[in-house]
Amino acid sequence: MTTTQSTEVPAAAAIRPATTTAVRVQNAVIKYGFILVTIALFLYFALSEGTFRESATLLDTLRYVSVAAILGLGVTLTMAVGGMDMSVGAVAGLGVSVAAQTMVVHNQVGTVAVLAVLAAGAVAGLLNALLIVVLRIPDMLATLGVMFVIQGGKLILVDGQSVTPGMTMSDGGTAPGKFTAGFLRIDRGTVLGIPVSVLIFGALTVAAWVFLARTRWGRVLYAIGANAEAARLAGIRVGAYRALAYVISGVLASVGGLILASRIGQGDVSAGTSQLLEAVAVALVGTSVLGRGRPNVWGTALGAVLIGIITTGLTIKGLPYYTQDVVEGAVLILALVFSFTLSKRRTA
Amino acid sequence: MSRVRLPLAALSLASVSALVLSGCSQSSDASTQAGAGAASAAAATGEKPAPFSKGTVKVALVRQSGAGDYFEQWGNGAKAQAKALGIDLTVYDAQADNAKQATDLSSAINSGAQAIIVDHGFPATIQPEIDQAVKKGIKVVVYDVDQTNKSVVSTEQDDASMAQAVLDVMAKTIGRNTKVGYVNVAGYAALDKRDSVWKKALTANGWTQEFKVGKVTDSTATDNVPLVSAALTQHSDVTGVFAPYDELAKGTVLGVQNKKLQSKVKVFGADVSNADIQNMTAAGSPWVATAGTDPSAVGAAVVRTTALQLAGQLDKSSVEFPAVAITRDFLVKNKIENMDQLRTALPALNLSKVSTADWIPNVAH
Repeated sequence: MTTTQSTEVPAAAAIRPATTTAVRVQNAVIKYGFILVTIALFLYFALSEGTFRESATLLDTLRYVSVAAILGLGVTLTMAVGGMDMSVGAVAGLGVSVAAQTMVVHNQVGTVAVLAVLAAGAVAGLLNALLIVVLRIPDMLATLGVMFVIQGGKLILVDGQSVTPGMTMSDGGTAPGKFTAGFLRIDRGTVLGIPVSVLIFGALTVAAWVFLARTRWGRVLYAIGANAEAARLAGIRVGAYRALAYVISGVLASVGGLILASRIGQGDVSAGTSQLLEAVAVALVGTSVLGRGRPNVWGTALGAVLIGIITTGLTIKGLPYYTQDVVEGAVLILALVFSFTLSKRRTA
Repeated sequence: MSRVRLPLAALSLASVSALVLSGCSQSSDASTQAGAGAASAAAATGEKPAPFSKGTVKVALVRQSGAGDYFEQWGNGAKAQAKALGIDLTVYDAQADNAKQATDLSSAINSGAQAIIVDHGFPATIQPEIDQAVKKGIKVVVYDVDQTNKSVVSTEQDDASMAQAVLDVMAKTIGRNTKVGYVNVAGYAALDKRDSVWKKALTANGWTQEFKVGKVTDSTATDNVPLVSAALTQHSDVTGVFAPYDELAKGTVLGVQNKKLQSKVKVFGADVSNADIQNMTAAGSPWVATAGTDPSAVGAAVVRTTALQLAGQLDKSSVEFPAVAITRDFLVKNKIENMDQLRTALPALNLSKVSTADWIPNVAH
């Protein structure tokens, strides 16, 4: 075997001189580097910290990142059409307020609250689509504007207060309802030992992957992102598809809001704001996975898991949150190096 | 070739240094380091009871927010006391993100901690996790959380007495039947208690509340300035504003100064810290009175309470830390510039007699 190989390698190298060991290693690094970093960090924490290995800790980690991950899936879709949704954190926060208002103030059951929250997410997505597609405002600016409108608007909805069961309302009465047991199961319940929010994260990841990677619609979204003008000339209704991406992103963000609402168990005026940057970060980290250099669903999901591993691992190690921010930022920059610098060099 | 190798080398260097970075930090165990300005511990004379006699005790501190001067000093006091007791303290800081506090608490339960201290939090958010911890046999001590589990030890500063102390000063300063403003938010146990004292004071003094604004964020002081400024634009005829939390009071002070109303509108705050003292004694500050406990002494006392509970020596289920009224006049007259000087001038702030035993090295003065 050894002799055969040693005679073949120089021959192959003679035919294709570009395929040197260095290039092959570099290609492998670009393709699997990020997965390897994730596995390495996981092993490092698992071997050095006994608590990190326990399934309860791992499930907590997934539960913690599920919201940022689901919001990140929406961001991924909008990035696929060459845009960016900056309103996802605000829409999730809106979901918390709508859920609290529906159940606590209007005394409705959990199902009504879920439908109201999803509808609010769809409306927010339509608003983004209107500004971007019809009024032609650049994606990031339009969604940034919507973010502020929603952050303020949700406070008008709840009278500037965190809605709590039994609170005194502006008309002097007492809030009649509470968060229903069924609604609270969205985040606090488990199925076969797995938190429901983690199952939702898994299911939505698979659904988003099928949609984006396995259907004609998904390929059209990527085609628009690659070259909108070419897509239009090919007969694609670019505006409709971009609108679709933002509406789906809005609905996904409101699902994140449902999980947050269930986790907090009452209204919370500041909910969701911290989720925006994490959602954008996981979607950006995701672009580097498997050397795609473009937004993709599995990458986003893995990016979320990686952020979760870092946060949990460093907390168990006793590092304060600002150190975690530095490490998370470094990981994001590393991912961007994979995505942009190295991938471009390879294709050039 | 060399153009290919260079970024590759840089990349592997980056990944290695990321790992080394986190590797180094393990040995330096940031969580048990005492904060700046923490007092030196008085030596303990008694013999340590179990579990302290059997080596390091693992305790988790799960905080709703560690940001802001008050909470930073609280955390420093807690860390210093934990270090003096030989406690391995892991700090979880949710940075005012309530959903994160729920998952933090869940992680703390699974981390193998023998006791968990919960510092603030929405009851609806953390009650299920607290019950879970109790069920697993973990000792739980809460600070300023309005919770219902009977096995949990409640600690709090006496918020009603705190609000009352400030409002007594306010009544003397601005008199009866005048217009007032209010900066507060609902949903935080401590603030809700101060709120109910405020409502009684409004009626008792015949005050008319012209506005109520306020929000709590990760940078509360800054974020309240525009709210207060806007409210004062509309209602510049108020004579006093009650802002019963120091971050809210700081924002209110800036709002009043923005509108150049400091000679007409006086601010009545709550809580006290180094920055608060600086703020109150600054030339032309409208912040004339506050009431408070020493955050660092409170943080330390909560950890001592937890230690007593772990040792089975705590014979009660709630511990209260009384507040003391502090006026701008008192600070200026006694030339007090920081907490150390205030502790000396007001020995009532010192909680060294609260939750202590001969085996506990006390970090309070």
